[in-house]
Amino acid sequence: MADRGNKKEPEITFFHPDLLEIPTDGSPAYLKGYRCRACGRLDFPKLSPCPSCWGEEFDVVPLSRTGKLYSATDIFVGQAGMKTPYSFGYVDLPENLRIFCQLEGEIGSFRCDDDVELTVGTIRTTSDSERITSYKFKKVGA
Amino acid sequence: MKPQRDVYIAGVGETKFGKHRLEFDALGRIAALQALKSSNINRPNIIQSAYVGNGTNGLVTGQTVLKDLGMCGHMPIINVESACSAGGMAVHLAVRDVATGFTEVSLAVGCENHSLHMQSGTAMAPAMTDIETVHGAVMTGKYALRAQRYMYETGAKIEDLALITVKNRRHATKNPYAWFKGDISVEEVVNSRLVASPLTLQQCCGIADGAGAVVVCSQEMARKLGIEKPIKVAATVVRSGPYHNRPRDITGDDITEATSRQLYEETGIGPEDIDIIELHDAFTIAELLYYECLGLCGKGEGLQFLRDGNATLGGKCVVSPRGGMLSYGHPIGASGAAQIAACVKQMRNECPGYQVDPVPRVAMTHVTGGGLSGTEHAACTMHMLVRP
Repeated sequence: MADRGNKKEPEITFFHPDLLEIPTDGSPAYLKGYRCRACGRLDFPKLSPCPSCWGEEFDVVPLSRTGKLYSATDIFVGQAGMKTPYSFGYVDLPENLRIFCQLEGEIGSFRCDDDVELTVGTIRTTSDSERITSYKFKKVGA
Repeated sequence: MKPQRDVYIAGVGETKFGKHRLEFDALGRIAALQALKSSNINRPNIIQSAYVGNGTNGLVTGQTVLKDLGMCGHMPIINVESACSAGGMAVHLAVRDVATGFTEVSLAVGCENHSLHMQSGTAMAPAMTDIETVHGAVMTGKYALRAQRYMYETGAKIEDLALITVKNRRHATKNPYAWFKGDISVEEVVNSRLVASPLTLQQCCGIADGAGAVVVCSQEMARKLGIEKPIKVAATVVRSGPYHNRPRDITGDDITEATSRQLYEETGIGPEDIDIIELHDAFTIAELLYYECLGLCGKGEGLQFLRDGNATLGGKCVVSPRGGMLSYGHPIGASGAAQIAACVKQMRNECPGYQVDPVPRVAMTHVTGGGLSGTEHAACTMHMLVRP
């Protein structure tokens, strides 16, 4: 028998090119919103077709890099395979979008309505202990 | 759904909740057999359809439960999964079969064994296909976010939230089916291990195993079976959670609000008429928010409602009289069916040591289900039960 069954697809280490852009020219990273060309609805994450009108064409819109932390928590008993403690929360952007994300900063330091800004960092590791990079938020100026 | 014809609960069953060495199917059989026998059903070929709720135990769970009772081959057996709503949804579907005349008598079971299958020291999370799960979401944390925001907006303290655990464990003191019960102080709740700030261990339901079962039938069948105290299903509602990935108020709960409003409208029964409620108190904050979402009190008045003793014996509406999930633990596929079993026993005056007095005439049950990004919950299942 061929070893087809044993061959493992490599796990992703970047989450996700549809959602996060890290420009190569050194300018700051940004989240990618998707505006439906048919109805104008703006979404994050990308949904295709558009859940309002089933339009299939979108313009990519760079989203604001700062927002308000709506709520946050520190996790001491986490998902299987994740190192604790870690923090996550909801960030509300001026574009009327809510982003669920991990928070970078000291445990116990996050408060509702804190001003936060986008950053990029490790959210978890693969089964081979490689880091998975994604968007995160941290306190403005931290 | 308001039934097209009257549907009655003939009998119910439940196992003790807690950590079991028995698999989900064995637990399911115990509850099912109790429900069948208490419905005066004494052979395997009377039931005409069965729905079995389970969240995580695999494939053909219903047939696995019912095969050893000799019930396979006589009827359709349909397996129901919607995370924590599965057991309630199984009852909903059994009611539908009788309501539409598809059957005269149907069985619903909810059963789950987590402890034989889960890695200890980890928290439950939605599927890895969900964007929030990839970023580390766990159910404890999602409720913790609601708690943080509620405390921030209302000035409630963690000691206030702890009162919910204290009340529910007190309700469960003499309930042989409950897992954690009896006296616990606010200090013990607050000082227990932090799980997801601000929620401590004693504010989270235990990861438990167990089962509940319900037999539903037509009026004619209830008469034929000789059911002495049939309980009427006034209505049952299942909704899916609306998706909107926008800023919204998570100290409310859109799906619970919509489901309860529909239930009140279809039954003509309002929150002021309800004697007892078993709701989705998986975490202390949840029960507090649901007082408001279910209309037991106004927005922002949940804490006052609790402090005034309105949610306990002698109050306006006894919430979690069996002790709720904070006492039973929460085997996700089982809880919805077990809540209904517990309410039916209360309405039949069959709860020695933990009977609500006077014997309740109207009961309501509520289970949400599934952390799904962009929704408050993927599902919500509610039932309104009336003692004729």
